[in-house]
Amino acid sequence: MTDIRLEAISKHYGAFKAADNVDLAVAQGEFVTILGPSGSGKTTLLSLIAGLNQPTTGRILIGGRDVTGSPPQQRNVGLVFQSYALFPHMSVFDNVAFPLRVRKTPPDALRAKVMAALELVQLQGLANRRPAQLSGGQQQRVALARAFVFEPDILLLDEPLGALDRKLREELQVELKQLQRRIGVTTILVTHDQEEALSLSDRVMVLDRGQVQQIAAPQEAYLRPANKFVADFLGIANFVQLPGGREGVIRPERIRLAASGGLAAKVVEAVYLGQTIRYHLDAGGTGFVAAAPFVGQPHAIGDSVSLTWDEADVWPVA
Amino acid sequence: MKPTLASRLVAATGIAALAFLVLPLLIVVPMSFSSARSLSFPPPGFSLRWYVGFFGDERWMEALWTSLALAFISSIFAVVLGGLAAYGLRRGTFRGRDVQEGNFMAPLIVPTIIAAVAMYLGFAKANLLGTFAGLVLAHTVLSVPLVMMVLGVAIRSFDVRIEQVGWSLGGSWFYTARTVLLPNIAPSLFAAWIFAFIGSFDEVIVTSFIAGTYETIPKKMFNELILEVNPTITAVATLLMAFTILALGLSAWMLHRAGKLRETML
Ligand SMILES: Nc1ncnc2c1ncn2[C@@H]1O[C@H](COP(=O)(O)OP(=O)(O)O)[C@@H](O)[C@H]1O
Ligand SMILES: [Mg+2]
Repeated sequence: MTDIRLEAISKHYGAFKAADNVDLAVAQGEFVTILGPSGSGKTTLLSLIAGLNQPTTGRILIGGRDVTGSPPQQRNVGLVFQSYALFPHMSVFDNVAFPLRVRKTPPDALRAKVMAALELVQLQGLANRRPAQLSGGQQQRVALARAFVFEPDILLLDEPLGALDRKLREELQVELKQLQRRIGVTTILVTHDQEEALSLSDRVMVLDRGQVQQIAAPQEAYLRPANKFVADFLGIANFVQLPGGREGVIRPERIRLAASGGLAAKVVEAVYLGQTIRYHLDAGGTGFVAAAPFVGQPHAIGDSVSLTWDEADVWPVA
Repeated sequence: MKPTLASRLVAATGIAALAFLVLPLLIVVPMSFSSARSLSFPPPGFSLRWYVGFFGDERWMEALWTSLALAFISSIFAVVLGGLAAYGLRRGTFRGRDVQEGNFMAPLIVPTIIAAVAMYLGFAKANLLGTFAGLVLAHTVLSVPLVMMVLGVAIRSFDVRIEQVGWSLGGSWFYTARTVLLPNIAPSLFAAWIFAFIGSFDEVIVTSFIAGTYETIPKKMFNELILEVNPTITAVATLLMAFTILALGLSAWMLHRAGKLRETML
């Protein structure tokens, strides 16, 4: 268990900068998510940390040791890809045993460790199956077990739940979080799914076109985004004008729908989301989104309402 | 879709052309079982005398062993070297990759007679003419493109991330190649080896230029035909055909099972 530091990491492909001067410090045992749209350089950063690729400039330190330039074999990293990347010809047991065999673990200890890891991901009964005989969720669990069975210093997860359907994804998110807490391994997860990032991580790093936009705790980034990109990418953002020509962002659940006394608006659309209703509103040509708890009589499309909020809930972004 | 007149014509032409090419080969087969003293068609009676003659002839047997040894050794070299080259070209991201690829594939594209003359001149300088080592070297160079074609497809369709995971789990490149990559491309590896083996076993042009006193089966067949028309040739040709068809059929079946047949052939 170790900390990770990226110091001014850049990765250039010709004139293109897939990673541009990235600084990041991940504390021992911390769960950090790299969040960004497709093509923003998330996988590039992960493969630099894993040593599958070398940075153009900058340094990478794992546990205080400068690993820049050292091969992946020497980094003691557990790696999980979206495509699972299981060894297709090996049984579940042999897949998980691979890193232990490389480390010349004696047979008894190897067996015990593999079975313990399979138990943690609830696959103890499937040790003899081939990957092709497993569902997507089960394959992902095997990939996870294989990544932590050898007690790596860090765990790197590249969109590990991206290929799964929503319900399974949410289940596995909870499992993943519990697992990470139990073994306490320093973890970096990559995703383009902002909900996943907000629910799993101690801190998120928002990335756009290879550049860091913000590194903060999820609530912090959500309520106090560093710029418009972060505001827009993390959930739904309402932009309002502030005195002095500045712009501010306010989140939907901070906007109240009153009878009078605020900004006059019409309900354009009402979306039922279970516990909440999301209203799309039109305030004299400016669009707003508000979220209200689903209690009492909801507003109907075409209703006239009045929008109010606390000035303290508006966060200046530009 | 209903076949149109045009598509029927194309098919008929194709079959006719194929028959035109294959028929002479098929005539050789009954002739090899002929009881006649000289080449004649149709054969007057059945006998195995030409097969007995072939296996009883010391010089043919020597040529057979030379051919087998040469094909065996050069095909193994070709699989190892061609496999490594295919890996480097498929997985690498270095400058001049296309030029390198062209360089390795050249023996397949350059007319064989030109390759033969080039090797003759080169080997003369290096004192390799008429040596077994020279033959192995030449056959290896000629077989490498075949191996690269088959293994290139296999390596490209094997997800590089599976190997990357192997490395990051601590497996060295060799360990990961042996325990992860090779088992998954084994059918293609076997097919590539057969291609290289047959390529060497059938090779006559370059061999004729550089073999010196060494006789291989095809080279001896060629020389026999020039001296006298001996029906033993038909027995050898039939054996060679049977062997080639069996081996290619086997490798096609291996590739088919691995789902790589179409890709490799196109
Ligand atoms: N080997 C490469 N050569 C050129 N460009 C690359 C290479 N690898 C990645 N890129 C580019 O870098 C950018 C970031 O890629 P990636 O890190 O995979 O993004 P993400 O994982 O966030 O979707 C993309 O625009 C991609 O096209
Ligand atoms: Mg990616």
